[in-house]
Amino acid sequence: MTASAVPGAVRGPEVEREGARALMLRAGAFLDGLVVPGAAVLVSVILFGGFVALAGANPVEVFEQMYRGAFGTWFSLQNSLQRAAPLMLTGLCTALPARLGLVVIGGEGALYVGGVAAAAVASHLTGSDPYTVLAFMAITSMIFGGLWIGTAGALRAKRGVNETISSLLLSYIGIAVCNHLIEGPLRDPQSLNKPSTLHIGDQNMLGPLPGLDVHYGLLYGIVACLICWLLMDHSIFGFAARIVGGNPRAARLSGLRVPRLMILVCAIAGAAAGLAGMVEVAAVHGKANASLAAGYGYTGILVAFLARHSPLGILPVALVLGGISASGGLLQRTCDLPDATVAVLQGILFVVMLASETYRGQVNWFSRLMVGSKGAVA
Amino acid sequence: MTQSAFAQPKERRDAPPPTLAAEHMSKRFGPLLALDDVSFTLRPGTFHALLGENGAGKSTLVKCIMGFYQADSGRVVVGDSDVMVNNPRDAQRYGIGMVYQHFTLVENMTVAENLVMARAEVPAFIDWKKEEQAIEAFMSGMPFRVPVRKLARQLAAGEKQKLEILKQLYLGSKIIILDEPTSVLTPQEADDVLGLLREMTRRGELSVAIITHKFREVTAFADEVTVLRRGALAGSGKVSDHTPASLAELMVGSEPPSASLLRQSSEQGHVSLELHDVCADDDLGLPVLSKVSLKVRAGEILGIAGVSGNGQEQLVEVLAGQRLPSSGKVHVAGKPYSPTRTQIRESRVRLLPEAPLKNASVANMTVAENMGFRCFDEPGFTLGRWAVRRGRLRRKALKSIGEYKIKTPGPEALIGGLSGGNVQRAVLARELDGEVAVLIAANPCFGLDFAAVAEIRSRIVAARNSGTAVLLVSADLDEIFALSDRIVVMSEGALVYETPAEGANVAEIGRHMAGHHA
Amino acid sequence: MTDAATLGAWGVPLAVIGGALRVSAPFLFVSLGECLTEKSGRVNLGLEGTLVMGAMGGYGVSYLSGSPWLGVAAAGALGAVFGALHGFLCGRPRVNDIAVGIALMLLGVGLSFFLGKPLIQPTAPRLPSFSLGFWSDVPQVRSNLQINALLVFGILLAPGLRWALKNTRWGLIVRTVGESAEAARAMGYDVNRVRLLATMAGGVLAGIGGSFLSLFYPGSWNEGLSSGQGLMAVALVIFARWDPVRCLYASLLFGGASALGPALQSVGVTSGYYLFNAAPYALTLVIMVLSSSATKQSRDLPMELTVAR
Repeated sequence: MTASAVPGAVRGPEVEREGARALMLRAGAFLDGLVVPGAAVLVSVILFGGFVALAGANPVEVFEQMYRGAFGTWFSLQNSLQRAAPLMLTGLCTALPARLGLVVIGGEGALYVGGVAAAAVASHLTGSDPYTVLAFMAITSMIFGGLWIGTAGALRAKRGVNETISSLLLSYIGIAVCNHLIEGPLRDPQSLNKPSTLHIGDQNMLGPLPGLDVHYGLLYGIVACLICWLLMDHSIFGFAARIVGGNPRAARLSGLRVPRLMILVCAIAGAAAGLAGMVEVAAVHGKANASLAAGYGYTGILVAFLARHSPLGILPVALVLGGISASGGLLQRTCDLPDATVAVLQGILFVVMLASETYRGQVNWFSRLMVGSKGAVA
Repeated sequence: MTQSAFAQPKERRDAPPPTLAAEHMSKRFGPLLALDDVSFTLRPGTFHALLGENGAGKSTLVKCIMGFYQADSGRVVVGDSDVMVNNPRDAQRYGIGMVYQHFTLVENMTVAENLVMARAEVPAFIDWKKEEQAIEAFMSGMPFRVPVRKLARQLAAGEKQKLEILKQLYLGSKIIILDEPTSVLTPQEADDVLGLLREMTRRGELSVAIITHKFREVTAFADEVTVLRRGALAGSGKVSDHTPASLAELMVGSEPPSASLLRQSSEQGHVSLELHDVCADDDLGLPVLSKVSLKVRAGEILGIAGVSGNGQEQLVEVLAGQRLPSSGKVHVAGKPYSPTRTQIRESRVRLLPEAPLKNASVANMTVAENMGFRCFDEPGFTLGRWAVRRGRLRRKALKSIGEYKIKTPGPEALIGGLSGGNVQRAVLARELDGEVAVLIAANPCFGLDFAAVAEIRSRIVAARNSGTAVLLVSADLDEIFALSDRIVVMSEGALVYETPAEGANVAEIGRHMAGHHA
Repeated sequence: MTDAATLGAWGVPLAVIGGALRVSAPFLFVSLGECLTEKSGRVNLGLEGTLVMGAMGGYGVSYLSGSPWLGVAAAGALGAVFGALHGFLCGRPRVNDIAVGIALMLLGVGLSFFLGKPLIQPTAPRLPSFSLGFWSDVPQVRSNLQINALLVFGILLAPGLRWALKNTRWGLIVRTVGESAEAARAMGYDVNRVRLLATMAGGVLAGIGGSFLSLFYPGSWNEGLSSGQGLMAVALVIFARWDPVRCLYASLLFGGASALGPALQSVGVTSGYYLFNAAPYALTLVIMVLSSSATKQSRDLPMELTVAR
């Protein structure tokens, strides 16, 4: 970095010292920031261990099996990655609006609507080459998902309707309308017991990543998180969004258009969830039916909160939660525990993590270690 | 325990109020000596005015008496004995009640519910018929009454004020302290409420102390007056021994306001900021600004003086884009102006609001980020007009931190962790950055220590000297005099008086601030 | 008219009315509970979880003990536990009530699916019922107007709660806390404790509402028992403008809307089944949009609430 980059930017020795000090402080603060969530995870694990013990299982064995089912083998790791893909996208659906101070929980519906829309579009594009079909599917799913959550954002910005409830209602409505369409106009006459849309065609399916058994949806998820990270943490758009989320009065003072930002961010969030639906259709099911609503939208809420609404944080958290949900089957078989076991663990993790908010920022062991006990200058 | 008026023996209800005295009270908040050896006596059956400018220590004094704060030294005497008042409930026990500037009524409850809930002992099951009858009976003995079944929020401001007073009487208070009771009332309502209170003191039923800075209320209603100035006692005595002029002198000091040493005589330029008949409503939809028109020239500081709560806050919000005007126009450099980002940038309008942490910064963003709110999307700070270049924001912040002597652990520290003065400096640095055509500053030095005040004022004057048009809104008359080229007075949402700062008459301004125009 | 077939088209409104009575009960209990909680200034979005938990717990205890009423009591107790958890956590500084509600919703649903796994097969004793259709000889009328004591209790509870909020010390304290925490503190009330108790009481009602689902209508335990009634009830409280009696009316309306799909299906109209299922959600949303405003707040909104900002 050169001092001449900004006219008049002079870096005197005092400033240098300040900079070093700030760096130490940042490192300390970073470590301090890990203490509380770390303790929360530990508490959750203990609580969950106690719970399965009460249910008659051996906690150590349960944790072993969970690890095995999630990450222990090459196969299980790939399975976890496969499940992490939609979770990344639905996690974004809650995380992005949270940057503006909005709590959106309608990811499940946006996923479903996006998936059905993608399947419907594919059935109209028979004969086109696979890339065109996939591109259209992705775009359609994002448009519909974006419309869904964008509506919740617009209702909030323009009418003051609580976005938490409205997004969930929109989600239920979306699922019901799509069920209606799958039963009726979009139904594949061949699907007898389980109404579904037409199959998108094997040639149009998203294949596995090179050398892996994990479908390309994972790449979609990772790329979406990276784009959202760039957007929210590095772009002027994200900067403006953070001002709005932090203090709408300051945002208005800065001349920012608060309602427009709300609607846009919600639409992007919905587009992410819609894309998750497309991924599930194009990579897993091949058609849209009721199995699309497998709870990824709800787990996505947890992913976002655990990642503290950071698009980059979503990547590892989605993998962990994808792993937890992947291990459900193994737990069922080996420990004789119901498949809802993972839901219990997720619930405990969520509650404990929120409860730990009360201690956040109260720990300053490392900061004090770094800059001595004087503490920050007031 | 406190008891309702009914539960008390009749003698106590009819007994005259005791003398209340606060002797040699001092109170320090950090570096600020808010109260400096002040004594105050409220004799039985008198109507006493505590007069002073904003920040003179009036509120601190009564809050020490009421037990909100503990005075560093001094004592409170009720009747013949020293009392320890640790909280407002204790004060209640000694028959001292306070009516706050902001109503403490539960808005969605009826008048009767508010009164019953104020009691220390509420019956498990409430027989509303009986309670309402009892309240009606109580009110019939009072000089004013409020409809018992109405919700508190349906009451007009004057009725609410009356209900607050009734609540104190209902609880058996003999001494009532009112904090700026008329700041939320129309002049007619104010006369009504104060007149009725004065009658009660004349009958010896009550002692009343009001905190005010309106001379008119002092001369029209009070028997005695205590004047505070900068935390110290400036004078006290019978109102009849004073004239408005002598009170004004006690309140704002006799020395002529010091002309700014820094101010260069500069040629005043074109009109930079112009307001035409700007009107606005408050949060409840009531009109609060009435046809405000003004012009500020380049290189000029126009000071808006006035008692706070007369529409200044809303005027600044309109200019900041935080409140939509209901009518009227704003022009900057002759062109219509609305505070969108593009126009703010093109017109180079900057704003220094009061309470900058609440109005102009995001507590959980860093100092560097907060200092970049104006410029983060400018070409010099972006990569391809798209990405924010944090390094540049940081370097810019570092420079300002040094220049404005902002005390912070670094540009990466959260601004919420800084002291008020340093947040103020950071926001000032941001707003004064670059070429500024119009600066709007609202109480820019409120609550700051001397060093910070001097620093911020000199910055504002420097901006003026370099050709910025400055609109200074301040409740501090000294500040208005120290900085302004021209002074206008705002009262009840309108500009009522204008004078050049040079040779301006303090008493005349005070009179207009107090609502004496015509 | 003794021939059932002659009922014809009349079967639909009859089924809707009957359905409204039965389907509205969970709405009613949850909305009354949420109403009480919100009156104290907190929002508990976790009542969906409490509802499912109550359904599972009530069913389980009824099955094990043979007494459905013991099941109802157990459901209420589980609701109290969940309410206490929410109330306690939200009493801590910096803990957000909306987020905790969402977390408890997920936890409650997960826990009940876990614990309820063995309960899907067995049949537990159901709550006794009686028919309001005694005046009629038509079997459909009789069967459609089956109700039970719990519903009667809920219907009486609505005006009872309204009365209590107005005429008892506890009611006034709850309202004061919900309207102005500052005023309540100045009066010497422990705001967090009042909210904890109000949230617990709300949880009890939601739990009982859940037991209605599993012990009366539909009257069995399975994982698809609740479909968001707990969350709709929160929206319903906004619509009812925080008044228990209006909660009753709104619940009946929602019950009717929810009963429309099954009622039409029962007479052979199956085409728009899913669309009719969406009716209560759409109705809720429309009502929320109509009852909100970007600039001014509902006048009856407890001032301490953040949900309807």
